[in-house]
Amino acid sequence: MIRFQKVKKIYEPHNVVLDNIDLEIKPGEFVCLVGVSGAGKSTLLKMLTKEERPTSGKVFIEGADLDEIRDREIPYLRRKIGTVYQDFKLLSRKTAYENVAFAMEVSDAAPEEIEKDAPQILSIVGLGDKLESFPEQLSGGEKQRLAIARAMIHRPSILLADEPTGNLDLVNSYDVVKLLLKINELGTTVVLASHDTNIVNSIGKRVVSMDRGKIVRDQTHNGRYVI
Amino acid sequence: MAINFKKIIDSGWTNFKRNSYLSFAATSIMALVLVLFLGLLSLQFLSLQVVTSLQEKIDISAYFKTDATEEQALKIKSDLSILPEVADVTYISQEEALADFKARHAQEELIQESLEQLDSNPLAASLNIKTKDPSQYASIAQFLENSSLRGVIDKINFYENRGVIDRIESISRGVRSWGLIVTLVLALVAVLVTFNTVRLTIFSQKQEIEIMRLVGASNWHIRGPYLAEGGLYGLFAAFIALAIFYPAVYFASDKIAAFAPGINLFGYFITGVPQVVLMVTLLGMFLGMVSSAIAIRKHLKI
Ligand SMILES: Nc1ncnc2c1ncn2[C@@H]1O[C@H](COP(=O)(O)OP(=O)(O)O)[C@@H](O)[C@H]1O
Ligand SMILES: [Mg+2]
Repeated sequence: MIRFQKVKKIYEPHNVVLDNIDLEIKPGEFVCLVGVSGAGKSTLLKMLTKEERPTSGKVFIEGADLDEIRDREIPYLRRKIGTVYQDFKLLSRKTAYENVAFAMEVSDAAPEEIEKDAPQILSIVGLGDKLESFPEQLSGGEKQRLAIARAMIHRPSILLADEPTGNLDLVNSYDVVKLLLKINELGTTVVLASHDTNIVNSIGKRVVSMDRGKIVRDQTHNGRYVI
Repeated sequence: MAINFKKIIDSGWTNFKRNSYLSFAATSIMALVLVLFLGLLSLQFLSLQVVTSLQEKIDISAYFKTDATEEQALKIKSDLSILPEVADVTYISQEEALADFKARHAQEELIQESLEQLDSNPLAASLNIKTKDPSQYASIAQFLENSSLRGVIDKINFYENRGVIDRIESISRGVRSWGLIVTLVLALVAVLVTFNTVRLTIFSQKQEIEIMRLVGASNWHIRGPYLAEGGLYGLFAAFIALAIFYPAVYFASDKIAAFAPGINLFGYFITGVPQVVLMVTLLGMFLGMVSSAIAIRKHLKI
């Protein structure tokens, strides 16, 4: 499903952010990517959506070499991959419903499809009664669930979550993690980047640890965040 | 797809309103460019009209000596009329010349009286020759000089309109090329102002654009509203330019008609209304959209 092959990322002049990363993630896996701030987790995730490109090495998604995806085709790649961020990245002038509808509009979804799917996905994440709320009227947890709903609207095969609980309190964090686990159970491959020990340890799935651009540990079952 | 198109125009219109001050600047400078462009068109039309009407007046006259017979004159006339460059030859006899002269000076008693006292006709018979092209008058003059009947011709005259025509043509050429340069420079300024206006919108919507990209929006979805915004500047500029230009032409038309009767500038632009409106609108929208396309280009990478 996802494969990194000797991936190196060097920011000029000589800041080696990813150092020979070899990593394979199978379809349907739930992977926690852990490591201190600055370890290179976000950079690794950005390789998958082509927001960043490796200095050397290769990245494959579903067998396709990302080098061979032309700029014009990047939007299609991004519709196959859902993304969730620490800072939510919601459109502040649009309601919850409009935020989801917007993601569908930009991929040329038919209006009937939008009217049917958008409320449905919002009630799945527990925002069925907040369709008309603007992001600032939502709690942190609700905002992140809205962001997850938006990420899932294209039914992506991969969901990337970069520190999704970074701005949330404990209860909301666990709600978001539960939602991610549920999405994973329904068949989506989930990669969760986090430096939150408690969250990672509570999940009990595969844990890949990074430090200064290198993978230092890969526990495939019931992994722990070891500092 | 139609709904998407409407959405794109809507968000372009929203952008337009949000930057009202800069939108105004972009629209006015573009309107100025379009007015200048229309001015150039009028100038083109006017100089063409003046030059053609003057060219129609170019002709050559050959005056005969008083002892020339009518047969000799008609012989030259028929020789001339078979020349390919000659459009028309008319023979004016002494009597016709006199009648014409009398008619022209009918109000002047002194002239009438002195004509009465003459016992012979002082005016010469003549041939009046029009050529197809004003540049051919020299070859006609040459032909007459070499004619076997040159002896009965007193003098060959041509109206010196040619100098005037040359001057009008060179002045209008000059005004045209300078006008074109000024219009082009202003068009460039308009593109820059529009470019900056759209860039400002893009800057204030950086976050939206980033999110659009992250949720997999195609380039056309991102570009659409900004192109619509630029197109709207051009559209409004076209309306303003036309609203300034038509009344201006209407008032100028009277003044021009006083100088040069028969030239109807307003009529020219009225009969061409659909073409003029279409051309100015398309030109304006093209300018606006090109500027936007340049402004958004950078933001479409990755
Ligand atoms: N655009 C960039 N230019 C230069 N350095 C960058 C850039 N983005 C990230 N970095 C550097 O790369 C390193 C890894 O960053 P990041 O992948 O965000 O780490 P993490 O997500 O694990 O906290 C950091 O040292 C950061 O300063
Ligand atoms: Mg990070």
